[in-house]
Amino acid sequence: MKQKRIKVMLTKLGLDGHDRGVVTVALALKDAGMEVLYLGRRNFPEQISQAAAQEDPDVIGISSLADAHMSLVPRLMKHLHERGVDCPVLVGGFIRPEDIPVLKQMGVSEVFAMGSRLDDIVAWIQNKCG
Amino acid sequence: MELHEKKAIEELREAFKDWENKHEDDFKTESKSFATESGIPIKRVYTPLDLADKGFDYLRDVGFPGEYPYTRSHNAIGYRAKFWERVAYSGHADPVDTNKIWRAQIDAGQTTINVAYDLPCQQGLDPDDPMAEGEIGRVGLTMVTQMDWEAAFDGIDLRKIGINQTLSESPAMVGLANHTILAHKRGMEDNEIVGLLQGDSLKEHLSRGNYIFSPQQGVRLVGDTLSYVGAHLPRYQAITVCGVALSEKGANKIHEAAYALANGFAYLQAAVDRGVDVDQLAPTMMFQPGCDHYCFWEEIAKYRAMRKIWAKVLRDRFKARKPASLQCRFYAGHGGSGLFREQYLNNIGRITLATFAAALSGVQFVDARTYDEQFGIPSQQAVVDAVRFQNVVAYETGVDSTVDPLAGSYFIECLTLETEERVWKELKEVDDRGGIVKCIENGYAQSVIAKDGYQAQRKLESGQTKRIGFNIYRSVGEEQKPIQVYRADPALDEKRKNEIMELKKKRDSRKVRKSLEEIKAIAVLEASASNNLVPPIMGAVAAYATNGEICRALKDVWGGFREAALF
Repeated sequence: MKQKRIKVMLTKLGLDGHDRGVVTVALALKDAGMEVLYLGRRNFPEQISQAAAQEDPDVIGISSLADAHMSLVPRLMKHLHERGVDCPVLVGGFIRPEDIPVLKQMGVSEVFAMGSRLDDIVAWIQNKCG
Repeated sequence: MELHEKKAIEELREAFKDWENKHEDDFKTESKSFATESGIPIKRVYTPLDLADKGFDYLRDVGFPGEYPYTRSHNAIGYRAKFWERVAYSGHADPVDTNKIWRAQIDAGQTTINVAYDLPCQQGLDPDDPMAEGEIGRVGLTMVTQMDWEAAFDGIDLRKIGINQTLSESPAMVGLANHTILAHKRGMEDNEIVGLLQGDSLKEHLSRGNYIFSPQQGVRLVGDTLSYVGAHLPRYQAITVCGVALSEKGANKIHEAAYALANGFAYLQAAVDRGVDVDQLAPTMMFQPGCDHYCFWEEIAKYRAMRKIWAKVLRDRFKARKPASLQCRFYAGHGGSGLFREQYLNNIGRITLATFAAALSGVQFVDARTYDEQFGIPSQQAVVDAVRFQNVVAYETGVDSTVDPLAGSYFIECLTLETEERVWKELKEVDDRGGIVKCIENGYAQSVIAKDGYQAQRKLESGQTKRIGFNIYRSVGEEQKPIQVYRADPALDEKRKNEIMELKKKRDSRKVRKSLEEIKAIAVLEASASNNLVPPIMGAVAAYATNGEICRALKDVWGGFREAALF
């Protein structure tokens, strides 16, 4: 029986449009054989949770670079919960070290902040969702 | 012009072969092969043989400073009358705080301000827009009306300090309005106003992602700005067509140069097609390429090649006649992605080297990054220091003593020719694919850039690319951190929303409504030589319309823009 590919939904969150990081991650995940759905830029909690409920990904990856994550991520987690989306949520980008434990308390499974390695992100997803 | 006498070249070739034979054992000890970041191979040594073999012709390929093809310099004297303008992009949330930072930068020797605005402002959203929640003042100045602008520039002499604003599309035109309105209030004439606009909407689609409208509507707005500035503001630059955003997005230097040039030609062509004279438009254009320390030689070659390519296209394709139209001028933007968090003081060396590369390239502005770049938006101390490092390069190295000091270097002339060839090749590829706007709409250019960036990331993580403190000579134990790191005050959101409510009660709302209708009346028309959105936008700004209201007026006519999925 053919192994089902891990399905990853990636998205920018909020107004910031710099997506070099998330696009680089997308290419690494595709190289590792995963199915990648990139929602693009300027997505907000409502749209992301709606897409997640529809697409049923194995994991959601959020990219945040403009320091708005402490206001937008709690809203996102709330919307996901309300729609019954319970897959792991990862946050990456410009995340200050002191914010990481707070994000995890909100339900974020792991944070890949500055200096994170592509292989570590791939390995985390393969371990959790493979 | 035959610089290389055939007999002399053959004798040299024989002597070179003898040298190679003699040093074969030394060559075997070399650790690896060398290439530029974009993949141009770099030879062990360059000699007159390399120039002869490339058919190098001094007058055709390089020329004199200030003369076609302008490879050496757009002007005849380089820095011998004055240095490049020293800038460090900055802005904190509150206009009053920002004013303090800018004055400190000016005291340290900064000569032009580059205004950093927050994301809502860059995207034409007011603080009370639901999409602005949590984003107000996070990455720069929150600017809503003319009043905020005046507070930010209180006590700054606009006759002495040029202003650059990192905005594009309608917010850029609002910024232009803010600047000219304040200048006029202070009794300045149009020909005294010195400023620049970043203004490049296509780069938002290609890289940064802060676009508001479709690529075509963005091009129309640029055409309006070029045309207005060309007609009214002789000391203003309507656009600094961006390369640094592309290299920060991952593009190698060949792709950075090719797509920036392609964008510049597209803006110019669209405005010319509307009936505006190329010689009114081209002198208002500058480029904002990147300058990265880790591409030191390739940067110098890139700038020289860009000057040459621009001059040729403006003369041969656009039939421009004014020298100012053919002279490519540069606002060098230092990229922050080449700086690291680990051993952050190493960034001082990186910033200084990037500035030196730009100075050797003969740029007109250098906008340096700060050593705390990886910790948050720059602190006041860090931007002041960025200006100081630039001044070390300017005043203490002698880089200003002669024009284009590396001209004639066998290596640099060869690298310039090879860079030029590769940039032409990619420009042709873009043309064959229907032009840069098509290449943006169908994602071709973005996918090329994404691939460059992915390869660069793999090289960094594998250790092939070495960065001190990050993946080589790493620190053991607790890392040193900068003392002050900026973070916006979350209470600002409420404060700004209240200020807007108060403003809307005080201003003449009938006048505002009328001014917004005037914007819409022009926006519905087909772009032509005689219609221009800059005057009605200026009218709206003078009436204290907000940045968001002005953008909303255009959105009501054109709609916003949603890009197609890349994957």
